Amino acid sequence: MIQNLQILILGIALGGVYALMASGLTLVFGVMRIVNIAHASLMIAAAYITFWAFRLYGVDPILSIVITIPVMFLVGVGIYKLFFSRIAGTQRSGELTVLLTFALALVIEGVLGFFFSNVFRSTNPAYSTQAILFDPLYIPKGQFYATLLSLGLIGGLWTFLQFSRMGYAIRASMQNISAAQVVGVNVERISMISFGIGIALAGASGSVMSFLFSFFPGKHWEWIAILLALIVLGGMGSLIGALVGALLLAVASAFVSFHFGPTWSPITFFLALFLILLFRPQGLLGKKMEV
Amino acid sequence: MALLEVENVTAGYRAGPDILKGVSIKIEQGKTYCIIGPNGAGKSTLLRAICGLLHPRDGNVIYRGEMLNKLRTDQILMRGISFVPQDRSLFPDMTVRENLRMGGYIIRDRTELKERVEDAFQMFPILKERSSQRAKTLSGGEQQMLAIGRALVLRPEIIMLDEPSLGLAPMVTNFIFENIKKLKQAGMTIIIVEQNARKGLESSDWGFVLDLGTTRFEGPAGTILNDPRIQELYLGRAQVNRQEPSP
Repeated sequence: MIQNLQILILGIALGGVYALMASGLTLVFGVMRIVNIAHASLMIAAAYITFWAFRLYGVDPILSIVITIPVMFLVGVGIYKLFFSRIAGTQRSGELTVLLTFALALVIEGVLGFFFSNVFRSTNPAYSTQAILFDPLYIPKGQFYATLLSLGLIGGLWTFLQFSRMGYAIRASMQNISAAQVVGVNVERISMISFGIGIALAGASGSVMSFLFSFFPGKHWEWIAILLALIVLGGMGSLIGALVGALLLAVASAFVSFHFGPTWSPITFFLALFLILLFRPQGLLGKKMEV
Repeated sequence: MALLEVENVTAGYRAGPDILKGVSIKIEQGKTYCIIGPNGAGKSTLLRAICGLLHPRDGNVIYRGEMLNKLRTDQILMRGISFVPQDRSLFPDMTVRENLRMGGYIIRDRTELKERVEDAFQMFPILKERSSQRAKTLSGGEQQMLAIGRALVLRPEIIMLDEPSLGLAPMVTNFIFENIKKLKQAGMTIIIVEQNARKGLESSDWGFVLDLGTTRFEGPAGTILNDPRIQELYLGRAQVNRQEPSP
C-alpha cells in the first residue's frame, strides 16, 4: 500500500513536468495544426542553454527559465517567420509541416551535436539529489520543484488563454480559424505569437529537464515520441487534455516501471497511443476532427 | 456618390482560376441589396473580396472614396463593413456571450464592448437566455441569430449576409428576415446573398444577378422578381439539373 502510494507520488511529480513539455506542443497544434516534431529538439537546445549558464555562471536551472523562456520565444517567432508563414493556409500545409518540422529536428540535433558533442549532460543543483521526507514517504526535491513550476506555468498559460484579449484571439483561432479572421483577428500574427509561446514552453521544459534527466543532442527522439503519445491521449490541441494525458501516463509508466522493470516503462506510452488511436482517436478531451 | 463601389473586380482563391471575372456593383447608403445567381457564380467570393478575406487580383473596392483592396479584414471591419459568412463561423466551444464579445474583438474599450453585447441581447432576447451556453449547443436558427448579433456588435454601416436562410426551417427563415427588415428600418445598408432568391428579393430594394463571375442583370428587386427571363433562367436551370440522368 505504502509502496503504491509512493509510486503514485513519484508518477504525479513527473507528470507535471511531462505536462509542461506537452503544453507547447499541443498549443502549436491547436492553433496552426502543425505537428511540431522539432519540439523536443528545441527542449534539448534550451537544456544546453541552462547547462552552460549553470556550469559557467552558476545560474540555478530553475531560475534560468528567465533566460530560456524569452530566448526560445524569439527562436520560435523566428522559425515561424522563416518557415511556416509562407506555407500556412496552403492546401498541402499539413504534410509540409510534418516534413518541415522533421527536417528542423534533424538540423537542430546536428547543430547541437556539432557544438556540444554527444556527451550525456545534466545540471546538478543541490536539490537535484535531495528529497523531502515525510516518513515513510518521500518526494525527490528536484521533481517536486519542477512539477510545482510546471503546474504554475501551465496555470499561467491557462489564465492567459482564458482571460486576456490575446488569449481570446488564440482560442478563437483554435476553434475556428476562418471565423477568427471574420471578426478581425490578425490570424497571421496570432499564429506567430502562439508558435513563439509554444517554443517558449519548450524552453522552460528544457531548463526543468536539465536537472531531472540527462540529455544529449539525439535524446529528443525519445522525448518527442513520449510527448506525442501524451497529447494524442489527452486530445490534440487541448491544454487540459495534455495535463490529464501527462499525469495519467506518468503515473501508469511509474507503476509499470516498478512492477515490470524500467525497461518496460516506455512501452506504457506506446501502448496507450495504440489503444487510444484504436478506440478514441480524438483523445480523451479532444474533439472529432472536422474534414 | 455610392457608399460602396466594386469596380471590375477579378478574384480567385490561392493559385486557382478567377472566380470573379470583372464584377461591378454599386451600393447606396440605407438600401438593401440581394445578390442571386446559380451555384459557383461567385456570390460568396464577391462578399469575401469586399471584406478583405480575399484580395482582388484586379479592379477596385472603394468605400467612401477609399480603396479597400489591400486592407486586412480587421481594418475593413473598423471602417464599418461586417460580414456574416455562410457557415456562420461561430466559435463552437465559446459561450454565446463570448462569441458576441469576439464580435467586438477590435473594440479595445471594455465597457463600450459590454454595452454593445447588451444591445445584441436586446435585439435577440433568446440569446440572452442562452448567454452562458456554448455556441455549438444552439439550434440552427439561434446560431444564425448569434452570427448576425455578433456582426452587429461593431455597429457596422454595411452588413453582408451570406445565405442567412441556409439550412433553416421556413418559420425560422421568416424570423431571420423579419430581423433583417428591422435592420433596414434602422437605416443599415444590407447586402444579402441568398439561394432562396424569392425570399431574398422580396426583402430587398435592388437585386444583382451574378453568373459565371460577372453581373448579368441588375435592377429594382421587384422587377427582377417578376422578370420572366430571369425566372426562366433560374427555374429552367434548376430543372435541367434535376433532369440529369443518373449514370
